[in-house]
Amino acid sequence: MTQIVPDNRKISPSLVFFLIHSMQIGVGVLGFQRIIAKSAGYDAWISILIAGLAVHIIVWMMYKMLRIADGDILAIHTYLLGKKAAKILCSILILYFVLLTTAVLRNFIEIVQVWMFPHLHTFWFGLVFLLLVLYVIFGGFRTVTGIAFFSVLLPLYILFLFLYTVPFSDFTNMLPILDHSIKDILLSSRDMSFSIVGFETLLFFYPFIKNPEKSKKWAHLGIAYTTFAYFYLAIITFAYFPEAQLDKNVWPTLTLWKIIEMPFVERFEYIGIANWCLIILPNICLALWCVSRLTKQIFSVQQRRALPVLALLVLVGISLLVTRDQINTVTNITGKFGFYFNFVYVPILFIVILITKKVRSHGKDT
Amino acid sequence: MERIRNFLLLIPLFFLLVGCVEKETVDDINLINGIGFDYAEEGRIIGTILFPVFMKDQPPENKILTAEAAIKKSVLQDIQKQSADPIVTGKMRVVLFGEELSTKQGILELVDAFQRDPGVGSGIYLATVDGTAEEILKGKYGIKGNAAHIANLLDQNVKREDLPKTNLQRFLADFYQKGKTPYIPQIKKISDENVELSGVGLFKSGKIIDTITQDKMFFFKLLVDKFSEGMHRVGIEKGDAAIRSIRSSHNFELTGRNPFEVTVKIRVEGVINEFTGNELTPKITKQLAKQFEEDIARECMYFVKRFQEKEIDPVGFGHFVKTQERNFNIDKWWAAEYPKLVVKIKPDVTITEAGVIQ
Repeated sequence: MTQIVPDNRKISPSLVFFLIHSMQIGVGVLGFQRIIAKSAGYDAWISILIAGLAVHIIVWMMYKMLRIADGDILAIHTYLLGKKAAKILCSILILYFVLLTTAVLRNFIEIVQVWMFPHLHTFWFGLVFLLLVLYVIFGGFRTVTGIAFFSVLLPLYILFLFLYTVPFSDFTNMLPILDHSIKDILLSSRDMSFSIVGFETLLFFYPFIKNPEKSKKWAHLGIAYTTFAYFYLAIITFAYFPEAQLDKNVWPTLTLWKIIEMPFVERFEYIGIANWCLIILPNICLALWCVSRLTKQIFSVQQRRALPVLALLVLVGISLLVTRDQINTVTNITGKFGFYFNFVYVPILFIVILITKKVRSHGKDT
Repeated sequence: MERIRNFLLLIPLFFLLVGCVEKETVDDINLINGIGFDYAEEGRIIGTILFPVFMKDQPPENKILTAEAAIKKSVLQDIQKQSADPIVTGKMRVVLFGEELSTKQGILELVDAFQRDPGVGSGIYLATVDGTAEEILKGKYGIKGNAAHIANLLDQNVKREDLPKTNLQRFLADFYQKGKTPYIPQIKKISDENVELSGVGLFKSGKIIDTITQDKMFFFKLLVDKFSEGMHRVGIEKGDAAIRSIRSSHNFELTGRNPFEVTVKIRVEGVINEFTGNELTPKITKQLAKQFEEDIARECMYFVKRFQEKEIDPVGFGHFVKTQERNFNIDKWWAAEYPKLVVKIKPDVTITEAGVIQ
């Protein structure tokens, strides 16, 4: 079942850091603050830390499972259920990743339309963007990794620009700490988890890591860095906006940028949003790569043949979503699916695989 | 080979993309610098926009267009009918509200349009006008154009003098913060070539209900801004002194809970710029510092009493108490607790230098 990936197509373990981090950071960063503050108010920064911790545990489980099955998600399912059932179960994931890609791309285009160019055509922008994505994926998994690498490094400077808001901030907004119940904080953690999914791609690219055991450390570092980035941004946002004002802003991160004044650029959002294109590029590349690989394994078609079809599906998808409501619905469905897959299905799978392994090795002994 | 082919395929598509959005060439648009709103009859408003017309080797000429309508966007639309080039809000620096408008009708709906517009920055200045906004925009101040002049005037006074930090975001933050009410600066036209900062307007639910005059702004800034600079004249028997505050900070402390009692510690570090008496001995310096402290305590107390009477809270006592109290109830605060709040002012003035003359 497991096809062996040749060494020259594999990536070195440290690059897993960039893959995991870049996949977790996407359009969610632009608007997560308002969503997590809904239940736990300005105690939501605690929720970010809790959600981050949960991701660490899930990734630890994923590594265990992948090692036992020695392969990707399909191998795990085959290990448990056999070939046929595994293929049927995993084909649901194809749908998930197509939806995810659609949601990310459409959300980004919506932002461009609202903040910069109301006349931008969803279809044309999507077409050009997807062609670029196809070009990257045709370069192989290593090219996708390269894009992920640059998407982390190049926009790094934006993190510092948020400090422009500090003179207008009131850090006492977050006091008193723990003014909300534990239940509210956990609810916010769940809302937060929608924004930090994406690390499940690990289940797909695991066979492409040169020395998987060594990559563990980097995967966890990537997650820690993501959690830090979200945490930092949440603190900055909560200090800048009073709670009632945050509730009014759909993209608080972009509204933060409105205060930035530089002699050579009047509105920083234009640069920021253009830069964000680079941040969502690996999101879409990696998601489409995963789904095309899965299609190849399940339906035995060439990855090259499957890709354009999948991209076309996404293109049709984004063109059909017109209003904010429709976009929200799709985003919510994808977020929920991601949440249940990562935080409910994966732990169950983990327990089942542990038991199966025990039973089988026991069987071998006698 | 295939890669190159793919890449070549992409190139013509970039040209397609260029045609997708509307072009806006800087020379062919009117970039509004400032906008003013005034009250007209029956809840309608008069909008005045100001944009510079640039000419070679000359200061920009201020061009003004006016229209009357029911809401802000339709003001712009009506003005559009008088303009040869499209009007764009991306370079706005000041928004002025006429006196009648800000006291009678309130400015909230107008401000909402600005926070909604992605093209308008959060750093723009809002100001109220002693008179009408139209009148002020019609003057001719400075060589950089009217709006830039007014914006720089406010900017300079925030950074160096006694105007508290202010801009659109500050206004919105104070407005949305429960337990705080916003304020904006007030300007006044004194001649066709001059405007001055004449005070600070205090808001209650979108309307200005009180104004702090120019000479008291120093104390107001001490109360509302974490750090401030500014000049104050202190008088004792031996003569008057102008003391410039170099560094100052304030600190709130909750010292009592039933009723709530807040102690405000105000620390000022100042230098004497001018003294009218004969000799400036260390003893006199001490006297001056003491008198300064008394002035601060008196004026700040007076402000706090006045705010409590008018049920406004530009200092943010409500917000402060909320940060110290669990299960804080904001409605109860405004109704019962704020009027009873006890505020103690503890000033601490240090005079560090007295200039280069002994």
